[in-house]
Amino acid sequence: MSTEINASAPRVTTPSGDWYPEAIDLAAVKAAHIPLYTQRTEITSDGNQAAAVAGLQMWRCLIYAGFPITPSTKWAEFSAATVNGQKGTKKRVKLMEAEHAVADYMAAASAACRDLVFTTATSSVGLDHMYETIKSMGASGLGNAMLINVYRCSANYPLCIEGDPSDTLGQRDCGWIQISCRGKQQIYDTVLQMPCIGMHHDVLTPSMPGFYGIKDSHRNARLVCEPDAAIHEFQDRWIKPCPLPGLINGDTAMGNCVTSRWFQGFKVSQKRRFEKVLDVLPQVGSDFERTFGRPGVSYFELAGWPESGGADLAVVSMGPDFGTFEELREEYAKKHGLKVAGMCIRLLSPFPREAVREQLRHARAVLVVNQAHHHTRGHLTLDVADALCNLSSPPPVISTFCGMGGADVSEATWEAMLDSGRRALEGHTPPPYQIFHEGAVL
Amino acid sequence: MSGYKENAQRDSCFRAGSTLCPGCMESMALQNIGRVTDNGVKTCFTIGTSCAEVSTLLFPNVVAWGRGDSSPDDFGKSFSIIHNVFESAPTCAEAIRDVADTLTDCGALKRPIQVFSVSGDGGAIAIGLRAMLHTINRRARVTIVVLVNEVFANTGFQYSPAATPFSDTSTTPAVGEVPGNLSPPIDYLHMTIAAGADLVAQISTAHGALFQKTVERSLEVKGTAVIFVPAPCISGWKFEDGRTMELALNGARAGVYPTFVWKRGEGGKVVDCKREAKDRPGIEEFLAAQRRFVHIVERDRKTGEIRVKPGREPYVEAFRTWVQDNVERLYQLAEIKK
Repeated sequence: MSTEINASAPRVTTPSGDWYPEAIDLAAVKAAHIPLYTQRTEITSDGNQAAAVAGLQMWRCLIYAGFPITPSTKWAEFSAATVNGQKGTKKRVKLMEAEHAVADYMAAASAACRDLVFTTATSSVGLDHMYETIKSMGASGLGNAMLINVYRCSANYPLCIEGDPSDTLGQRDCGWIQISCRGKQQIYDTVLQMPCIGMHHDVLTPSMPGFYGIKDSHRNARLVCEPDAAIHEFQDRWIKPCPLPGLINGDTAMGNCVTSRWFQGFKVSQKRRFEKVLDVLPQVGSDFERTFGRPGVSYFELAGWPESGGADLAVVSMGPDFGTFEELREEYAKKHGLKVAGMCIRLLSPFPREAVREQLRHARAVLVVNQAHHHTRGHLTLDVADALCNLSSPPPVISTFCGMGGADVSEATWEAMLDSGRRALEGHTPPPYQIFHEGAVL
Repeated sequence: MSGYKENAQRDSCFRAGSTLCPGCMESMALQNIGRVTDNGVKTCFTIGTSCAEVSTLLFPNVVAWGRGDSSPDDFGKSFSIIHNVFESAPTCAEAIRDVADTLTDCGALKRPIQVFSVSGDGGAIAIGLRAMLHTINRRARVTIVVLVNEVFANTGFQYSPAATPFSDTSTTPAVGEVPGNLSPPIDYLHMTIAAGADLVAQISTAHGALFQKTVERSLEVKGTAVIFVPAPCISGWKFEDGRTMELALNGARAGVYPTFVWKRGEGGKVVDCKREAKDRPGIEEFLAAQRRFVHIVERDRKTGEIRVKPGREPYVEAFRTWVQDNVERLYQLAEIKK
């Protein structure tokens, strides 16, 4: 999509209808923003608060729609307490009657003004309730919608309020950019960056940053909050006026049944824009790191990779339990005389297939750790196996499950899974998958 | 308020090209509402999945919405519409209203907008009852239009909670001894008043001038206005082309769906439908005009005489009782002031 736009013309014709650039004065919205922080400030925060603070600091975020569901409820509570306590603010919190209504609200609000950011938080069955509209929004071009998904088991019988990523992984095909975070700082930083990617003119796709319920949503850590002005400067470098009409500043028709003569072309375009995330995300991440001195968004994080690139055993996982692996990796490697390295996946959708393949190309075996129910070998396993399939002699992929329902993944469990990988290196053929808990194979 | 003739000359935002049945009440209602909205104020519509939606927006047909042959230069004449799933139209309308109001608060939006939600009764009263009532309860400043054809029309005329007793639908078929739908319709007028609507009406374009006036009044209230449009469905109710207005008028006058306009603080009135059964047209003409009641009454093709089918007298009597209750209920509802 061309980024050449004429924001000074009274009416601009676009392929999606006409646009009245002067109808909404975004400078007035920015001027109305009351900053939360005027200088870099360190606070104590849990994951929900970290995500909420980031949204509250954006001048483009005016309305926070929400509905309570464990473990994401505090996002709405904190947003409401802050907005209500901020004298003179134009921001508002919108409490809906159900998650489905939140999704509908987000869809129309994002369509009403495509230059504002509309954000909410939900979890588990809340995300399931939203699915009907979420899936429509995936193709909508509304990159200004951001849904914070606090991971919780959604293959939910029996009930479990602890966090495993089965909710977000069950929505891999919804068309949203899904990125996993671990740690409060990463949550905060990621929420600040995602609108820059989603609203990029080449992408125009809604985003779904997520983090593990309870493990990250409810545990406190120190959090560095950047001054609002610095955040605005960073985001304004990336977010340009949307080149397409919104409902308020446009003469247009949109929605999931609206006529298109080029349905196939539309879907191809959706996929192309989705793939553009792979180009834009590293650029935004690099700029974030240059600006704020902390790592920006990336496809994945790496731990313990030898300079030669080849590891004996490469571990692929996601989420905060990867930290336990990082703690024991070196000692385990030394004990067994192996080069053990790890890859913590962040970008779930679109899956960074090429980059994963390049990183794992020289590993002798790949151990994939899944933490969500799946009908076969695991969501991550299938993605990793797909990434490796074009190699002439791909490394064997060992599939494991652990931590389901948010259970802790103990050191003993990690060691048992690594032992399974080690046995594959010794020539044993692993079963299609194994389930681990408290150091034992179940 | 604009005059009826004056309004008829305005640019409707509902345009040619829909695939609604020729003579469909929904197209007439939307045409008229569309003209009222040509008032210098930017117009936003939301529409839930419904007959009106799939017939006006669905691929590969043309978009039957917009004002003029091309986008107008004047922002105040511009129009936009978003379709989302069945139940969503009121929520989506509320979202647009909120965004506009917040932008106005910031000084970022200088011109007003008006927001309409359009649903069918399947979307608003069945799937989306919760959504509609909560939008009303939050006093969203939008006009909710519900086109009540009493069936899920675009999936093949299945039962909806607004279905008239004893009507034959795809999922309440009149087969053997079962006389069609046995459930009374949900009392959506009372519900929307109770939920907090500022204006509630049941009116079709059969009462054209009042219909226009009611739509105009809906734009003046501070909270939510809800307009239910009884929409005789040519295909679903199975009546002859060209009789839509006649049937709309007959049904309203006979008491099946009386014309009713109510405003918070003022109360309401039942229009063109007498309280006493003896003062109203009988129900037989209404029933006999539609084949969805052919299992109860029939018209002699030669003489035109309407006859109750043998053994079906109790159903006709029950229908008569339901109609009287319906009329009485609305007269009582009209007396509510707050």
